Amino acid sequence: MDARAARTILSVVRASMRIAGVERPTEVAFSFAGQELRAPVGESLAAALIVAGVRRLGEGPGSPRAAFCMMGTCQQCLLRVDGRLAQACITPVRAGMVVTEA
Amino acid sequence: MTHPYDVAVLGAGPAGMAAATEAARRGAKVVLLEESPAPGGQVYRAAPPGFVVPPDADRRAGDALRAALAASGAELRLGHRVWGLGGGPLVRQGEAPVPFRIDALPPDGEPVTLEARALVLCAGTHERIIPFPGWTLPGVIGLAAATILLKAQGVLPGRRVVVAGAGPLLYAVAAKLLKAGSEVAAIADLATRGEWARAMPALLARPDLLARGLAWRAALATNGVPVLQAHAVIAAEGVGAVERVRVQPISGGAAESFDCDALCIGHGLVPATEATRVFRAAHRYARESGGWVPVLDADRRVSVPLLYVAGDGGGVRGAAAAPAAGRLAALAALRDLGVLDGRAHARARRRPALEQWRAAQAGQAMARMMALRPALVDAIAPETVVCRCEGVTRAEIETALDDGATEMNQLKQFTRCGMGPCQGRLCGEAAAELVARRVGGRERAGFATGRLPLRPVPMEAVLGEFDYADIPVPAPAPL
Amino acid sequence: MAFDVAIVGAGVMGCSTALHLARAGMRVALLDRGAICREASGVNAGTLTMQMTRAALIPYALRAHEMWLRMAEWCDGGHVLAVACPGLSVAFTEREAAMLEERAKARRAAGAPIELISGGQAMEIEPGLSDRVLLAGHCPIDGFTSAYLTGRAFRPALLNAGVALFENRAVWGVDREAGRFVLETETGPLQAKRIVLAGGVWLEEMAGWLGVRLPIKVLINQLVVTERIRPVMRTVLGVASGLLSLKQYANGTVLIGGGWQGIGDRQRGGLAVRAENFRGNVRLAAHTIPALRDARVVRAWLGLEAETADALPAIGPIPGVDNAWIIGSVHSGYTSGPYFGKLLAQAVAGEAPEMPLFPIDRLLAMEAA
Repeated sequence: MDARAARTILSVVRASMRIAGVERPTEVAFSFAGQELRAPVGESLAAALIVAGVRRLGEGPGSPRAAFCMMGTCQQCLLRVDGRLAQACITPVRAGMVVTEA
Repeated sequence: MTHPYDVAVLGAGPAGMAAATEAARRGAKVVLLEESPAPGGQVYRAAPPGFVVPPDADRRAGDALRAALAASGAELRLGHRVWGLGGGPLVRQGEAPVPFRIDALPPDGEPVTLEARALVLCAGTHERIIPFPGWTLPGVIGLAAATILLKAQGVLPGRRVVVAGAGPLLYAVAAKLLKAGSEVAAIADLATRGEWARAMPALLARPDLLARGLAWRAALATNGVPVLQAHAVIAAEGVGAVERVRVQPISGGAAESFDCDALCIGHGLVPATEATRVFRAAHRYARESGGWVPVLDADRRVSVPLLYVAGDGGGVRGAAAAPAAGRLAALAALRDLGVLDGRAHARARRRPALEQWRAAQAGQAMARMMALRPALVDAIAPETVVCRCEGVTRAEIETALDDGATEMNQLKQFTRCGMGPCQGRLCGEAAAELVARRVGGRERAGFATGRLPLRPVPMEAVLGEFDYADIPVPAPAPL
Repeated sequence: MAFDVAIVGAGVMGCSTALHLARAGMRVALLDRGAICREASGVNAGTLTMQMTRAALIPYALRAHEMWLRMAEWCDGGHVLAVACPGLSVAFTEREAAMLEERAKARRAAGAPIELISGGQAMEIEPGLSDRVLLAGHCPIDGFTSAYLTGRAFRPALLNAGVALFENRAVWGVDREAGRFVLETETGPLQAKRIVLAGGVWLEEMAGWLGVRLPIKVLINQLVVTERIRPVMRTVLGVASGLLSLKQYANGTVLIGGGWQGIGDRQRGGLAVRAENFRGNVRLAAHTIPALRDARVVRAWLGLEAETADALPAIGPIPGVDNAWIIGSVHSGYTSGPYFGKLLAQAVAGEAPEMPLFPIDRLLAMEAA
């Protein structure tokens, strides 16, 4: 393995999915399916879940559901936020929000 | 209900921001409704409140439009999801047209209804995705989705990413991924080298865009990213999420496999015509503009009086061409409302008309690159799900066509394809192509009738608080 | 060469008439300006309820209910996912309770096995029901279909039976030559010995082709559907006034109907949802099944329903024009449609129909008066 490849792997292992150099508001806690997660307040819930490694958001009639369009169109990221149906991609993270599958 | 606005603009992308700015500056009472928490649209999308993202060329262009909008006096209603449209020509036979009606859901959840004498639609596009095995795996996202994640959220779609599909967005996303620290496993571009070469002369009309594209390419070369021209993704594979992507030359031949944890893929942009369909405006099929588009005059007037379309929703021409189109639409609305006389209008439209024309040259070349590629549709496997909301496969669509479905509304009835919550936005292009193959073209295949709500709307929002006695139950049906 | 019969209008009644006549040995042409069952027959609420059917039509609706449920048996396997389940018609106020009693009585007399039960008893049958129901009509014979499948269900059987199906072939008018009807159509003339007008809300214009003035009222019914949700109900629900129909399909979607009016007309079709009626309709639905509050509305649409002056069907010979027949304009026409088609086919084929038709002489007399 050459030095560059080794560096790449190291940086991949270490780096967060959140891009460096972006200033973000304070992180807050929220829950997804009972699991406590943290994300900057105001980040889109869909993005926060991607960072947390949560990809599958539910089961559709013919396939799993997961964030796809990120702009409120495809309806694949529907979740239940504080008891109400909401699209994760257009829902900002708030402190204490309770998120479950739809 | 408040006094009607002179002009309502739907969508605060570059076209909408410019339209609202132009109309408000000239003294009209203007409201601009936008679903996102900040104006910008997809290309100039602002980061969420409290986020500071290092500026780039798009951010600066967006900021300029945002600043002009803020100074214009237009009323800005952000976080408003427009779900209902009515009024205008949608009245009983013989009745005079009425103001347009807009039902929206603000962030606080209390529904609002606004009225406007003229309506400028700047709904933009949604991304075309032609299904392939594995496209429904978690970790497969749209190219436009990737730009939103990267540029507005500052989040990587994956650590090792395959970028695939068509158009300049491929290179924009790949370059951004590299810069942000992701590994780009490969780029699979449907376009041939020849197609890119043929697009060059048109791109010279906008040297800034051309230079940026070349810089993206250079960054990819420096990092040794495999750029596969004339290649298509034939499958995404993995257990529970995408783990590898198989790519093959479009002319056939050996497939290559790339390990990855995300696939960002898009097959072009499709104008969002939901609103013009609701108003029963005339449309035409224009493959090289992205698909069905409303019939527009040079000043962005739709066939319905006092209704206008600006930006990519009227045919894909790119963000650079959108502000001028927005200004043209606003000026036409002011002319039609009698705010501007003929001479003032002729004078005012000259510059935006020229700007729009110039930017559209480059935009058109890119739109052509992103136009629907029939070979992808031919390649959809029978068992591949086309309509995700309803779980309808290609085989089920073909059986419905065997059973006599001849156009999109009928296909919808025979299969439920397009009946789910996305209302055909995700599957519509592939399904329409499958119908078109049988009936001799997209014009014959038609499009699904425009229906409300424009987006799924929580029942709670429609209901509000009510007593049973408040429900205006009509006279009983005959016994 | 002439067809034995040309049927204009490929909705449920035209299709059923065509199928039964073809099976009786006639050479049948079935024409529609659009696709099969694309208008009212394909976009209605698919309700098979007795409690929204006019009392006089109950005997027909009961027979049609059976036909819908067994459609695959008589339609070469074609079906509309018909489901049999109990039906409830509910009253929230004393006034509605009185209306319900009157209506249940009339329908019971006509043969619908409707019994009146308390709100509590109704909740045992329908656990999703609001606890504010005072009185309910319970009919064990009820059910629903997926109306959007109707065209697909009929089409193969029609072709198998030898019906010449001409979709997207508009008829402009009719001439009579040498004892035959000559239909002027988009793609040239078509000759037939007999004609059946089955054009739904367009019957008024069609009757005019034969010199008959038959006013037909057009209702612009709004329908609303939710996205897939967990099971929240298991009956067909209505209200005493008939202004709600509510059912949940196997796929989880809930369909809300009841004939609230939108904007549209015969010429342009359904144009727009009327916002206040949209809200009123869904409020009534959510008042009846409170769990609907949690759902999202995915789509609203409009279907055109035809109605005669007395709101009873127009089914029978056209007076003064030999070999010309009419069928349609039935309140809840979809519910009884296949059976009406069967009856008219018997008459057209020269047999005595097994149940009385609804000749239009009465309507023409009203119009002349």
